Amino acid sequence: MKKGSIIAHLDADCFYVSCERIRNAGLKGKPVGVLGNQGACIIAKSYELRAKGVATGIPIWDAHRLCPEAIYVKRDFQWYEVLSRLMLDLIKTYSLTVEYYSIDELFFDASLLPIAFQSSMLDAAKALQQRILKEIGLPVTIGIAETKLLAKLASDTAKPFGCTVWLNPEDRKALLKEKPVSDITGIAKRREKTLQSYGIYTCDQFVAADRKLIRKLVTKMGEDMWWELNGISVLPLQTERPPHKMVARGGSIGAASADRLRIEGWLIRNVERLVDALDHYGYVADQLGLYLGYKEGFGSYGSTNLLAPTALFEDLAPAVRALFDYAFHEGKKIHYIHIIAEHLQFKDHAQRSLFEKEKTRPTQTAIMRQVNASAGRFAVRSAATLPLPDIYSDIANDYDICDVYGKSCF
Amino acid sequence: MCAGLAVERRAIPDELVEKYHLHDRLVTRGDGPPEIQFHFRAKVPLLPVQHANQFDIFLWGNRDDKKSKLPRTGWCKIESLEAGKWKYLHPVEVEIPCSYGLEKGVWFQVQEGFKGIMVNDEKGIPHVYMLTQPASHYYEVMTRHDREPVFIGKSI
Repeated sequence: MKKGSIIAHLDADCFYVSCERIRNAGLKGKPVGVLGNQGACIIAKSYELRAKGVATGIPIWDAHRLCPEAIYVKRDFQWYEVLSRLMLDLIKTYSLTVEYYSIDELFFDASLLPIAFQSSMLDAAKALQQRILKEIGLPVTIGIAETKLLAKLASDTAKPFGCTVWLNPEDRKALLKEKPVSDITGIAKRREKTLQSYGIYTCDQFVAADRKLIRKLVTKMGEDMWWELNGISVLPLQTERPPHKMVARGGSIGAASADRLRIEGWLIRNVERLVDALDHYGYVADQLGLYLGYKEGFGSYGSTNLLAPTALFEDLAPAVRALFDYAFHEGKKIHYIHIIAEHLQFKDHAQRSLFEKEKTRPTQTAIMRQVNASAGRFAVRSAATLPLPDIYSDIANDYDICDVYGKSCF
Repeated sequence: MCAGLAVERRAIPDELVEKYHLHDRLVTRGDGPPEIQFHFRAKVPLLPVQHANQFDIFLWGNRDDKKSKLPRTGWCKIESLEAGKWKYLHPVEVEIPCSYGLEKGVWFQVQEGFKGIMVNDEKGIPHVYMLTQPASHYYEVMTRHDREPVFIGKSI
């Protein structure tokens, strides 16, 4: 619990669209939607498109009805990561404590900003905003307050391309007044309903409520929010990503398919991605789960214990195949696949198993890793992925948002 | 296929805008920079073309002339070109530079442009056909069309 912190929340304005506008200035000022990898859904939009009533997540055909003149762009997470990391590096020149929250959001200790810019906190935030725009080309909004939650609320209030500083109790009170409690990150519909049943509709009512009541209604998480909105910092800046409970790779397989070879190709591609992620974070898994989502709407999930904690392709691929053979409804079209590494341990401190085999020669994973390190990520793939020539031909399939490592959120 | 496309106004020389009366095709979306749009259904279907290091404007295929020997379409399937079905017209490869393409009402960003072929009619007037290929899954979902233009450089 800490008083007197000065925390900034930096949120890039319509980040994916802004990234696209950096390499295509012609998109500036136009209604732009960024599409997911299957070309079906809007995953990000410009303010011009939002003004037409287009929401994130809706299908392109609904968006088209609302805004026929919109331009659609295919997402490119590799490019977005480049710009995200430039933003992160720039902020690190002003702060020793930076949390890489998500690809387009950062929290950082802003206490040195006025010294760095020789100005007031607000002017320093504005100067930083201008520097990011000039040097990287990204418009951002910055909110500064005593806690992470207040800083996030401040930046949400100032969007787009705003700067705001809430460092005294009067500012805080004024800004929380009559703001719906659902504006607080973490208060979604169910919690909002619970709070409303006790007469808590607004943020100022939330901070004035009894702390113990808040804890009773919305758990420890809600109590943390109560402290934070009262100006007491209880959510520390996470300069390193907290350990995962599980790591999953997968998603839509594009056109739904009942073709066993094609589905197995997707399974193995996702195992390769999972191995890459486990390797990056230094985990081994004790358990492996497989979710299959069918086009008809139902899904199935199963898991298996692994003989020993592992992150090796040659251990995980047969386990996934075995799960698939057990779970697959022959002839039914599959739409989604998720492979989940569970019961994670750090490789260096993992509990050893009686069933563990001594490796007398380099593992397949080690050889793949060695070649890929010099030839490029996923340059070597399993031959089981060959029935997916269309996926190979589209390099956007090689990189997804979860491949942007180090974020504390998702 | 692709029934229309747009080029940033600043990318088209003023003399071509004057010569081909492209002012009528000037469109602005939101507060963005103006574009010149080319539609196959326009009064006179035209295409911007890069050929022999020259940027110019040509007729888009053959939409209306029933008497011409040229195929009555604006597109050429790459499979038919490769099978030699256009050989009698002595097609020349050209590039169709554009910023955005239009298919079934959906505008999509294009990196460089599309590939096309140029052929001459009986009077020696050049016409340009847009090359098409089977659509990728992404393109088909986005536009609901099973054929897409042949992209220059990165496809979508």
